[in-house]
Amino acid sequence: MTAVRGTRAAVRLGGASWRLRPRAITVTLLGLGALALLMALGMRLGEIEMGLGEVVSAIVSDGPAHFVVMELRLPRALTGALVGAALGLAGAITQAIARNPLASPDILGVTTGASVAVVAVMVAGGAWYGGVSGALAAVGVPVLALAGGLAGGVLVYALAWRKGLDGYRLVLVGIGVSTVFTNVKFWLLTIGDVNDASRAMTWISGSLHGRGWEQAVPVALALGALVPATLLGTRSLDALRFGDETVTALGVRTNLARGLLIVAAVLLAAVATAAAGPIAFVALAAPQIALRLAGAVQPPLLVSAVVGAVLVCAADLIARTLFAPTELPVGVVTAVLGAPYLIYLLIRARRERRT
Amino acid sequence: MNTRLTAAGVRLGYGDRIVVDGLDLGVESGTVTAIIGPNGCGKSTLLRALGRLLRPSGGEVLLDGKRIDRIPTREVARLLGVLPQAPVAPEGLTVADLVARGRHPHQTWYRQWSSGDESAVAEALAMTGLLDLADRPLEELSGGQRQRAWISMALAQGTDLLLLDEPTTFLDLSHQVEVLELVGRLHRDAGRTIVMVLHDLNLAARYADRLVAMRAGRVVAAGGPHEVLTEDLLREVFDLDAKVIDDPVTGTPLVVPIGSRRTT
Repeated sequence: MTAVRGTRAAVRLGGASWRLRPRAITVTLLGLGALALLMALGMRLGEIEMGLGEVVSAIVSDGPAHFVVMELRLPRALTGALVGAALGLAGAITQAIARNPLASPDILGVTTGASVAVVAVMVAGGAWYGGVSGALAAVGVPVLALAGGLAGGVLVYALAWRKGLDGYRLVLVGIGVSTVFTNVKFWLLTIGDVNDASRAMTWISGSLHGRGWEQAVPVALALGALVPATLLGTRSLDALRFGDETVTALGVRTNLARGLLIVAAVLLAAVATAAAGPIAFVALAAPQIALRLAGAVQPPLLVSAVVGAVLVCAADLIARTLFAPTELPVGVVTAVLGAPYLIYLLIRARRERRT
Repeated sequence: MNTRLTAAGVRLGYGDRIVVDGLDLGVESGTVTAIIGPNGCGKSTLLRALGRLLRPSGGEVLLDGKRIDRIPTREVARLLGVLPQAPVAPEGLTVADLVARGRHPHQTWYRQWSSGDESAVAEALAMTGLLDLADRPLEELSGGQRQRAWISMALAQGTDLLLLDEPTTFLDLSHQVEVLELVGRLHRDAGRTIVMVLHDLNLAARYADRLVAMRAGRVVAAGGPHEVLTEDLLREVFDLDAKVIDDPVTGTPLVVPIGSRRTT
């Protein structure tokens, strides 16, 4: 049979078959290569610079170098990559559901909800602990962020649900809730003790400083469960881009599919935020970069995750080394890189509309 | 002949506004049914309910004798294709991608593009004459071509029951005829059962073997074109004074308006 023009090549194995997307596969492999390179660089650079050979020997041998690589740099780089992947994936889902390239998990109430929860306890906690440190900083803050993020997500979801979930309504409700949360956060910062407030500021700009295995492992577990689940949902996500009636006509349970995918996005964003704080712009930019690299019509999930991982790893490397020994929060770097990108997207969208 | 689709005493509406109440309708296998009626009479609403896009607040819709809302929506999608009015596609989508989407109800995560999918898409494109345009983005097509692409998607779904909501709106006369000839071919060659909402009475009479005339949410008359399209019915349903003559080409009824009876 001659192939129809415009249709894709297929991989067929027995009863199974998939479409072949060579460009997406190439981009994914290149992205993973870049990620490996960035992580290797991350192992080498820092206060103690090491050659690649030294890094390898540090992994196998005991000693201070082993500690630096295995307990400091590797878990931090891994956390960064995993958080980036989670944010990229969450962003891709959100943008597809909202049918809007400027949507991100921020509008799902997750990041802002987490911020309010963490800032509230840090500011109020000053009175109980004499500053937030030790146990609370290590265990309490991520748990708090997770709880706050999920609560924010549930609130937006509940307010946006009206006999079903409409992408447009979700965006509007999400923006409203996020604005309220953001202002509560600022109010808390202004009434709080200066020292508590500055500690809180570091957290809410998103940082990978001091992130260890206790952050990397939960994010890895969450991704391990959620990535296969969302990839199964890709087919529904592709269909959900159409008008609701067409989606139903194609036999998709519109509200169920949309609801489950949003839940996945909320969980991914909440876990990422719990591990590293609200890192700005990654969830927004990664899917849009992935879409352009892969030449796709909508953000491809897996490519978005890889691009997100590369972005956060690269940004953290810059944050760690640019003004060494002073370290920037990684969220500041992603925001500085992401803001011009957002403006570029807006200008492009306006041009396209004009032509 | 068996009844494929049945509406039994359905009440339909949007929120508190009831558009159709207590309506009965049966669609026989292998027929082309055109629903006609003035604007706002509930004909699109009825079609949406027949295609389970709108849930009746009373009564029931039966597909092959079973309540359509009790059949999993995916299974319904393998039996019945619906083309909504003015459907929306994402930007940048090509004709081939759109038509391939019609295979959705037949696919699973491990079977996403079988040779069966491929041949169904090729066949649907060939039937609508779109093979040469398959790699073109939808927004580059003319209105008639775009409408054919959407019908092609519904065809790729591989159902022998098709519901089309005003498939000829926004099309000029030659494109309207083109789309309806396609409908006619689907009926003749493949024995498909088709229900469509149409505005043009003469075209409806020509391409449908059964007309359902609606007014204010009720079926006023149903039957063959000659039975339904009478001067009395046009007056009752459309407030239209008209002469009905035989179409010189096909012999089906042809409506020649004299004037509206509505006070302006």
